[in-house]
Amino acid sequence: MATFEIFLKKDGRDEFRHVGALDAANDELALVSARECYVRRAEGDRLWVVRRDNILSPDRDFTAPNADKPHRHHSGEAVAARRKALRETTEAQTNE
Amino acid sequence: MSELSGAARDVILAFVDDEHLMGQQHTEWIGVAPFLEEDLAFASIGQDELGHAAMLLEALVGSDDADIDALAFYREASDWRSCALAEITLPEWGDTLVRHWLYDAAEELRWQLFQGSSVQLLADISVRALSEEQFHRRHGNALLDALLSVDDARDRIMASLHKLLPIALTMFDGAPGEANAIVEGVVSGSLASLQGDWQLRVDARFGSVDWGAVASDGVGTPAPSQRTQRHDDFAPLLARMLEVLDLDRTVTW
Repeated sequence: MATFEIFLKKDGRDEFRHVGALDAANDELALVSARECYVRRAEGDRLWVVRRDNILSPDRDFTAPNADKPHRHHSGEAVAARRKALRETTEAQTNE
Repeated sequence: MSELSGAARDVILAFVDDEHLMGQQHTEWIGVAPFLEEDLAFASIGQDELGHAAMLLEALVGSDDADIDALAFYREASDWRSCALAEITLPEWGDTLVRHWLYDAAEELRWQLFQGSSVQLLADISVRALSEEQFHRRHGNALLDALLSVDDARDRIMASLHKLLPIALTMFDGAPGEANAIVEGVVSGSLASLQGDWQLRVDARFGSVDWGAVASDGVGTPAPSQRTQRHDDFAPLLARMLEVLDLDRTVTW
């Protein structure tokens, strides 16, 4: 048995979205199982069935450092928050 | 509905009852099939068969739920027109899978009998059913492809096949009105006329079968009765089907 990841989309709407996984003995069984398990109520009209083995998935350390880079965020809120904190600290030191 | 002749009703009812019972048999595997994916897939296919039965029932009595329930569930056993293959209880998954394949191989041929029906509604229903059935056969074939390639599994599947073939022939027993229904153009041929094509499909799938031996092997197989006789497993099956409905027949779900 192999594990397959299932993705669905509706034609002309949204992107493919991950909806779940299933185990199957081969590709054909994965397709027919996916059809009955995930699309039987027309949840999507396009289907991707992907062997989990074919997904490149590095460990968390690969992406973790990017969790603390507020300067890369569009809104600027995080940057503004840092500048405000820095300003307040400076003002407090000046007033001392 | 009212414009249907008694003969037309007879051949439709034979199909309704087979589809209804096969749908019930399939859905009874929910929660106990060999693995979760098959649980869901098989029950989903069973729902398709129930949907086919529902469309044909509507063709017979209209869309009123009470009328449909009365015909679908509350008839005398002798008024059912199902075949023994659809009535028997099969506690083994391998037997159930083989029945699924055998039944669906014949089901496609049966819907083709309705394709040019003089009753337009039946022709329309057959188009929809045939489009769904290709996926039922693909499901059965995919499982059999995997299992028949493994020695132990193949032995078990072949044992199931030989056990079921005699009773599978009950599928080709026509209802009493069949001959007249053919004359009226409701169906283009008899169920018996499909048996040869079906046997070729069985041979192609499982290897050549000694059909003479199958015929003589049918000890205990119900004799042709134009679908007026029920198998011993029918009564408990119907009781299971009515278990919830009988709690309150008037309730709206």
